[in-house]
Amino acid sequence: MFKSRITGTGMHLPEEVLTNADCEKLCDTNDEWIRKRTGIERRHMAPEGKGSADLAYHASKMALDNAGISAQDLDAIVFCTVTPDQFFPASGNILQGMLGCKHIPSFDVNAACSGYICGLATANAFIESGMYKTILLVGADVISKYMDWDYRDTSILFGDGAGATVIHAEKGDHGVKFIEMGTDGEHYGVLEMPGSGSRNPITPDNVNDHPYHILMDGQELFKRAVRKFTELGERALDETGLDVDDIKVFVPHQANARILEAACARLNMPLERTIININETGNTVAATIPMALHEAVIQGRLERGNHIMMGAYGAGLTWGGAIIKW
Amino acid sequence: MKQARVIGVGSHLPKNILTNKDIEEKCDTNDEWIQKRTGIKSRHIIEPGQGSSDLALPAAQEALEMAGITPEDVDIIVFCTITPDQLAPGSASILQGKLGASNAAAFDVNAACSGFVNGLAVADSLICAGKYKNVLLIGAEVQSNRMLWHNRDTAILFADGAGAMVLTASDSEEDEAGVLTTHLGSDGASYEILHLPRGGSREIFTMENFDEDGYKIHMNGTELFKRAVIKFVSVCQEALDATGLTMDDVDLFVPHQANKRIIEAAGQRMGIDPEKVALTIEYTGNTTAASIPIALDHAYKDGRVKKGDIILVAAFGAGLTWASAIIRW
Repeated sequence: MFKSRITGTGMHLPEEVLTNADCEKLCDTNDEWIRKRTGIERRHMAPEGKGSADLAYHASKMALDNAGISAQDLDAIVFCTVTPDQFFPASGNILQGMLGCKHIPSFDVNAACSGYICGLATANAFIESGMYKTILLVGADVISKYMDWDYRDTSILFGDGAGATVIHAEKGDHGVKFIEMGTDGEHYGVLEMPGSGSRNPITPDNVNDHPYHILMDGQELFKRAVRKFTELGERALDETGLDVDDIKVFVPHQANARILEAACARLNMPLERTIININETGNTVAATIPMALHEAVIQGRLERGNHIMMGAYGAGLTWGGAIIKW
Repeated sequence: MKQARVIGVGSHLPKNILTNKDIEEKCDTNDEWIQKRTGIKSRHIIEPGQGSSDLALPAAQEALEMAGITPEDVDIIVFCTITPDQLAPGSASILQGKLGASNAAAFDVNAACSGFVNGLAVADSLICAGKYKNVLLIGAEVQSNRMLWHNRDTAILFADGAGAMVLTASDSEEDEAGVLTTHLGSDGASYEILHLPRGGSREIFTMENFDEDGYKIHMNGTELFKRAVIKFVSVCQEALDATGLTMDDVDLFVPHQANKRIIEAAGQRMGIDPEKVALTIEYTGNTTAASIPIALDHAYKDGRVKKGDIILVAAFGAGLTWASAIIRW
């Protein structure tokens, strides 16, 4: 049976930076408060006219290069995003065209902050069922443009970015050893962007009335996220028969450094073995995990045979966890 | 390896009907022209305040009832749409809450008009890889509330609706019924043939830029028609080749309902008996990702589907994307 082998990773952060000091000019906040509450110092912003596929293009080229293959070798693209470039078509299709791939399948997956793990579950299923062999899995979001500075609790959190992962079907001992996704849609009000959708579309009457604001119950979210990260981590280790010391690197969704610190403490996962880059990136939604994975790779932290653990929690409410043997 | 069997279908069309005559009052067009060009006579539209998950809910409940399983039995909800209820979270999560599918993971899939068949391939592989048992697959759209009546070429086409399908894992030795093959493709280099460029992360709507053409759909109708007919034929042939079946073996053809002329032209080239074609566009219009599951459910309700039947589904649309699948009922 074929298993997923990650053969290349890439990431892209757009050039323009928004520091905490810049945020102080946009709303009533300050650098110290932001750092203390979230760990964020800077976030990156996509240029005007550029969307998630535009960022993903650069991350994908890097991943293809690192995998030692060309775009023409791909046989599927799974694009995880909550901010597609256009109303339609899907960003996956736009990326497929930009990369010059053959006329392979391409589509978007949306599970907000847990998007990449859902995309990974999909890509892994494609590989283990024998459907596809060389998959480009992308997590990319351009959410900065939607930030509403009248809502300072949330507008300081998010940044733009793209991560890309090339997954190849190969027989062997590597692969996705554990993967779980979950949803609690009953409590979607804990973190949502209620506007700009089919239920409440943008019209001339409401376009100036905070159409993109984010509603977040920060305390509830923190509590639930820590609990779920811990639960998922414990279950992942339990079902794979691994110990937390067997995990070479923990690559979690970067929503808030304090959430990660709390979860790591509960799991006995040392912070030294956890990728935390939210200080530079902010929360890039579906891009966080593939970008953090790339960081782990370029820091030389991974050797074949190592185990990586991933975890995500976010809007939906959604969550996801995975253990991969590299 | 497991096989994905279809054990339930359902659909929902909102009760408000917009006829071609109603449209004559909104823009410079007439019933005869619309019917001649597209085959559409009327379409269904929502009450204000409804999103795609609101249409998906009754469709899902219908499909689950037919499947004989409860919402708690659902392992994954795959929600195919280009019109999620809100910016975040996706409609799959919102539906999961409304449905009470407390054990289900949920995510949205977007491949525009080919969305449902892409979702079907995803559901099929999740089941075949052995990890999940019951998948609720949804195609649902709410498009009526952004139609621009001064762009009559496109405003007459799109409408609202939802379809649902329940798939379950079965051991392929015991029963040959199930998803036999899926084929997906895209040509993103040609995306400008049918696209809505604004309202996404490249150019979000703001007070400064949101004008009467904000939701303008750019469509090269002639090119689209040509490519659609060619691709419908080729992607169907791919599916038939993969299963060793021929067009004569097909009992029901369920095409994406974009335009009756495209369906007729493709059907003719494929040599399919018009009696075997599921056609709802006359009264549904183009419901994008919802069109195939609605057409399949209506054919089922009309008694046109029986055990052992070979069903060929095919889609073509924005992306550009195309897709086909063969299901043995």
